[in-house]
Amino acid sequence: MSVDIRLASSRPAGTDLYHGENPGNIVTPGDVITADSGFMRGHGTYMEDECLHASVAGTVERVNKLISVRPLKTRYNGEIGDVVIGRIRELAQKRWKVETHSRMDSVLMLSSVNLPGGELRRRSEEDEKMMRHYLKEGDLISAEVQNVMSDGCLSLHTRSLKYGKLGQGCLVCISPSLVLRRKTHFHNLPIGASIILGNNGFIWISPTVQDKSEESGGYETNLQPIPKLDREVIARLRNCVLALAECKMLLFDTCILYAYEASLKYAVKDLLKPEVAVEVVDLVRQRLELEGS
Amino acid sequence: MRETPLSNCEREFILNFIAQQKRLDGRNAYDYRDLRIAFGVSLGCCHVELGKTRVLAQVSCEVGEPKQTRPHDGVLYVNVELSPMACPSFEQGRQSEEGIELSRLMERCLKESRCLDMESLCIVSGEKAWHVRVDIHVLNHEGNILDCASIAAISALAHFRRPDVSVHGEEITIHTLEDRNPVPLSLHHMPLLVSFAFFSQGKFMLVDPSSKEEKVMEGKMVVGMNKHRELCTLQVTGQMLLLKEQVLRCSSIALTKVTKITELIHEALDKDKQARLKGEKHGFAMLVSGDRVTANRLPTTEVKVDTLEISDEMERSQSSSEDGESQSGNEPMEEQIVATPKESAVEILTKGVGVIGEGGTSTWLDIPQADSKQTAAKKRKHKLEKMEEGIDDEGSSEEEEKVILK
Repeated sequence: MSVDIRLASSRPAGTDLYHGENPGNIVTPGDVITADSGFMRGHGTYMEDECLHASVAGTVERVNKLISVRPLKTRYNGEIGDVVIGRIRELAQKRWKVETHSRMDSVLMLSSVNLPGGELRRRSEEDEKMMRHYLKEGDLISAEVQNVMSDGCLSLHTRSLKYGKLGQGCLVCISPSLVLRRKTHFHNLPIGASIILGNNGFIWISPTVQDKSEESGGYETNLQPIPKLDREVIARLRNCVLALAECKMLLFDTCILYAYEASLKYAVKDLLKPEVAVEVVDLVRQRLELEGS
Repeated sequence: MRETPLSNCEREFILNFIAQQKRLDGRNAYDYRDLRIAFGVSLGCCHVELGKTRVLAQVSCEVGEPKQTRPHDGVLYVNVELSPMACPSFEQGRQSEEGIELSRLMERCLKESRCLDMESLCIVSGEKAWHVRVDIHVLNHEGNILDCASIAAISALAHFRRPDVSVHGEEITIHTLEDRNPVPLSLHHMPLLVSFAFFSQGKFMLVDPSSKEEKVMEGKMVVGMNKHRELCTLQVTGQMLLLKEQVLRCSSIALTKVTKITELIHEALDKDKQARLKGEKHGFAMLVSGDRVTANRLPTTEVKVDTLEISDEMERSQSSSEDGESQSGNEPMEEQIVATPKESAVEILTKGVGVIGEGGTSTWLDIPQADSKQTAAKKRKHKLEKMEEGIDDEGSSEEEEKVILK
């Protein structure tokens, strides 16, 4: 076992990490946003002494007459169409309660999953009793948000073949604000691993399934042992994702790939060291800037 | 807000580890975490830290009518408050099931054991008696709130002083604190609760479970005892059956623990009394040491590293760097490190980063094709949280890993 000792004074200061432009409208709880009373209060604000104050730390957004503060660090707020990764917490009447790192447990109805025997099959009593055989407590699933209920609870569905129970792989939990909404969240990286970027901050890294024709909607999990090389790739990807999240970079498939390539000269476990992580992310940032310009 | 559930592999790992007679934080099966008892400036206020679990107990009293069924006794109220400050899954206001269970156990421990002499709390029989109220607030929940709360409640009751009452014929005078010194409550004995967590249908048992161990435990037994070998409370929860020998063994373990903790409580009470007599600083200000920049304090963890002894200079440089000294202060320290390469086994990588020892080889197994999924690779999670130490994760499990970044 090795022990690393770092002096507190040699840690990188906060200003070294952030290279972007300062948005300029960041507020902290208690800051006065405006003293003008003509605005409507949105989320993250409160009125006190005729002034509008911010109640969370974030950026101020203004839409016509509505002022709201979007928090920098928040629990996941779902939108319809988001891809999320969740863990089954408990079974209830004709539904599963799924934990998605939001304020309330999300709900996966029995009628929103693909059961064998065709899609338009009527859900019978037997199906209810067999719920535990399909998804039990502790399982991980990938799903899409079908509906947001009035109290903020999300209703999920796994109606497509690409969603369903997740088999072997590695889960990384980061802040939901680092994952943008994009066209696809399922990426097959050319290095032999697939990655699912859940909007709720859960990232799933798994080895690429070779036979595309065998997609069964996640009904059966492939428990074949994974060769060591693949596992190293997955471990390296996981450490890259953690390094990017630590430096607050937005995550998407390109930057994860760049981080992987930049990290190849280090051993997998060295990526966990803060200095190495900062170096790798710097390289990624430079490369992204080059491409962007 | 509900808590994040433990992942399957974490749960399996903890259970496998316990089956090997080990615990996540390196304790033995019957070890308590570090216990710290501190008293506040006001009488009857006690703050107890058991590892990271923190509980504050406050005792107060007022004059009221005794109960109709017991006109010669005072009244004791015990209340346990679980607020979201302790754990995000506790809800404010509403008493959850856990909160009700804790309150009931604390009540049984204090009332039914008759530790407090209720007759001494009576002022005028049938008309006036003291109502003593113990409010227990959980400040941080890291497992085993019950033990912590019982220590805090008993210490607070022992620390508390009620106003003195004098009776002259028909006249009763309740003296103010300036008039006469307040009088301590008469505690016969100190009942303390000891929690046992059971795993694998009672095969493995742990004392003082941490929060992760509580989440995977199958059953719990609470034994309330005092140091005179008197059993005050006994409660078993969970889905398991226990043998008679196990219950007896638990009560004897509880006896040793209770004796030790009672000594600690008496020590703390004595120290506080001495400090008050001499007029020295006392109260919660003593919890925060004045010569450090941060109030955070971690217990030292022993680390087995396969090298020579670390020299004194390294330890000094570590402790002074924790105070966040300026850049100029670092120069002499690094010179010291470089000047004694033979004594210290620290390998300096770059400025401000040193490494002791070498990591082991990867424990991932090369799986032959026909093998089953059950070959579990050992995952050693060392959770040393010192600011300047980073431990490399070695190996990993086959199926899932989960890391939460805050």
